Amino acid sequence: MKAVVSMEYDIIEKVNEVAAAGGSLEDRLERAARLFAEEFHFDQCLFFLAGSGGALKLAAASSGLCTTGVLCYGKGEGLPAVAMEKGGLVEAQKEPGRAEWEGVPDPGLEGVSTALVYPLGGGGSFSGVVYLKARERTSLSPARKDLLKVASLQAALMIRNAVLLEDHRRAHAELLAMQEKLASSEKLLALGDMAATMAHEIRNPLLSLGGYAARLKRQLPSGSPGLVYIEKMSQEIGRIEKIMNGIIRFLNDNLAELKTDDLNCIVDEALDIFADEFSAHGIAVERRSVHAPLTVLADREQMKIAFDNIIANAIQSMEKGGALKVVTSRSGDFAVAEVSDTGGGIDPEHIGYIFNPFFTTKKHGTGLGLPIANSIITRHRGGIEVRNEGRGASFTIRLPYSGAASVSSDLLPAEAGRVV
Amino acid sequence: MKKRILVVDDEEGLRLLYKEELEDEGWEVDLAASGEESLEKLEKDSIDLVLLDIKMPGMDGVEVLRRVKEKWKDLPVILCTAYPHYKHDFGTWASDAYITKSSDLTELKQTIKEILGKKQ
Ligand SMILES: Nc1ncnc2c1ncn2[C@@H]1O[C@H](COP(=O)(O)OP(=O)(O)OP(=O)(O)O)[C@@H](O)[C@H]1O
Ligand SMILES: [Mg+2]
Repeated sequence: MKAVVSMEYDIIEKVNEVAAAGGSLEDRLERAARLFAEEFHFDQCLFFLAGSGGALKLAAASSGLCTTGVLCYGKGEGLPAVAMEKGGLVEAQKEPGRAEWEGVPDPGLEGVSTALVYPLGGGGSFSGVVYLKARERTSLSPARKDLLKVASLQAALMIRNAVLLEDHRRAHAELLAMQEKLASSEKLLALGDMAATMAHEIRNPLLSLGGYAARLKRQLPSGSPGLVYIEKMSQEIGRIEKIMNGIIRFLNDNLAELKTDDLNCIVDEALDIFADEFSAHGIAVERRSVHAPLTVLADREQMKIAFDNIIANAIQSMEKGGALKVVTSRSGDFAVAEVSDTGGGIDPEHIGYIFNPFFTTKKHGTGLGLPIANSIITRHRGGIEVRNEGRGASFTIRLPYSGAASVSSDLLPAEAGRVV
Repeated sequence: MKKRILVVDDEEGLRLLYKEELEDEGWEVDLAASGEESLEKLEKDSIDLVLLDIKMPGMDGVEVLRRVKEKWKDLPVILCTAYPHYKHDFGTWASDAYITKSSDLTELKQTIKEILGKKQ
C-alpha cells in the first residue's frame, strides 16, 4: 500500500513539474503526453483540444504509434465525443472483427486493441480530451484509473491557465496598441493646431506677394523678359494659395451648421456649378433620383464642397469627353449618392491612398480634394467608398437618412475613407 | 465725385496692395490698421464703402461690423475672410457682401462696383 501511494505522488509531482515549467502550451502538453504514456503503460498518449465549432484538434502526441489518420475530430465524432458526452472515462476494447468502438466508428484506432479517453475539465465544460492507446489488450486497475483522473485534471488546469494567460497577453497588447493610437491622435491634434496657425500666418503675406506680382506684371512693358519670371512666380504663388486654402478648409472642423436638407437638392446644386465645364468638355450628365426627398441633416455649404471635389475629379478624368452618372437613392437608414464617371478609373496601386492628404497624380493637384470630402462626410456621420467600375471610378456617399428618426447633431471627428 | 473706400486690415502689405489696386480703378482709398482706428476714421471722414478683414487682433471684424451698422445703417460693408465658402460667424449676416481673401482681386473689384453702382 505504501508503495502505491508513493508511486501516485510520483506521477502527480511529475505532471505538476511539467505544468509549472515555462515554454509554450504545446511543448508542455507534449511532455505530459510522454509522461502519461510511460506512467500508464500505453503505447501512445494524445491530447486533443476543443477549437471552434466543437471540433477537437490534435495538440500534442507522444511518439509510439503512427498519429496520421486523425488530426481532428468533428463535433460528435469518435470516442472523444462519447467521453465528453458521458463526462467521464471511456474504456474501450476492440471486439474482434468489428470496426466500431462503444458503438461509434473511430478511424484513429487502426491497429489498436485498447483505448482510454478521458475528458479534460469538469462541470460540463471541457477543454479537450486525453487519449491513451495500446496495441495489446490491457486495462487499468480502479486505483490507476483514479490516478488518471487526477493527472488529467492537472493537465486540464494547465491548459486553462495557458488559455487565460494568452487572453491576458492579448488584452494587454491591445491596450498598449490603443494607448499608442491615443497618444498619436493627441499628437495629430497638436499638429493640426500648429498647421492651422501656420496656414493663417502664411496666408496674408502670400496674398500680398501674389497681389504685387500681378501689379508688377501689368506694369512691365510687353515683350519684357521679366514677364516670364513674373508669370512663373504668380503661378507658384497661386499654387501655394490653393494648398493653404485646402489646409484651412481641412482643419476647420467646427464650422458646420446642421440643418434638415434634401440630398437631392445638394447634389443638384453641386452639379449646377459645373454646367459650363460639362459642356466645355463634352461630358454627358445622367442624373437619376429614386426617392424624393432624401432628408438628411447637413451643412449645405460644406456638403456641396464635398461633392464639388468629387465631381471636379470626375471632370478632370474625362477632359476629352465622357459620361457622368449621378444617382441618389435611399438604402435602409442611409441616403445614398453615387457618382460614377467613364474616365478610366483609378490605378489599383493608388486606390488605397487617394484619401490621404497630399496624395495626387496630377501636375497641379493639391491632393486635398478627397481628404476634404471625406472629412466633411464623416463629420456628418456618413461614409464615402470608392471602387473602379465599368469604364471609370465610382464614388458612393452615404449619409444617415433623417426622415424618420431624429439624429444627434453632434459632429464626429473625421475618419479615413474606404476603398472597396 | 470719387467714391471713398475705407480698407481695414492689420496686415500692412495687404493694405498697400488694396490701396494701389483700388486707386487704379478710380476710387479714393483710406486705410485703417485696426478696428478701433477704422471707427475713428469713420467719425471724421465721409466714407462710401468699408472693406473689412474679419480676423484682426483687438477689435475683430465682426465687432466692427456690428458697431458700423448700428451707427451708419446704410454704409455698405464687405467682409473679407480666410475661410472659403463659409459664413464664419452668424454675426456676419449684416454685411453686404462676403469675400474670400485671394491674391486675385478681380472678384473683390467686381463686388465693389456692384455695391457702389446700386447705391447711386
Ligand atoms: N474620378 C476619378 N478618376 C480617376 N482618378 C481619380 C478620381 N478621383 C480621384 N482620383 C485620383 O485620386 C487622386 C487624389 O484626388 P484628390 O481630389 O484628393 O486630389 P487631386 O484631384 O489630385 O488634387 P486637387 O483636388 O487639389 O485638384 C487624384 O490625383 C487622382 O489620381
Ligand atoms: Mg481633386
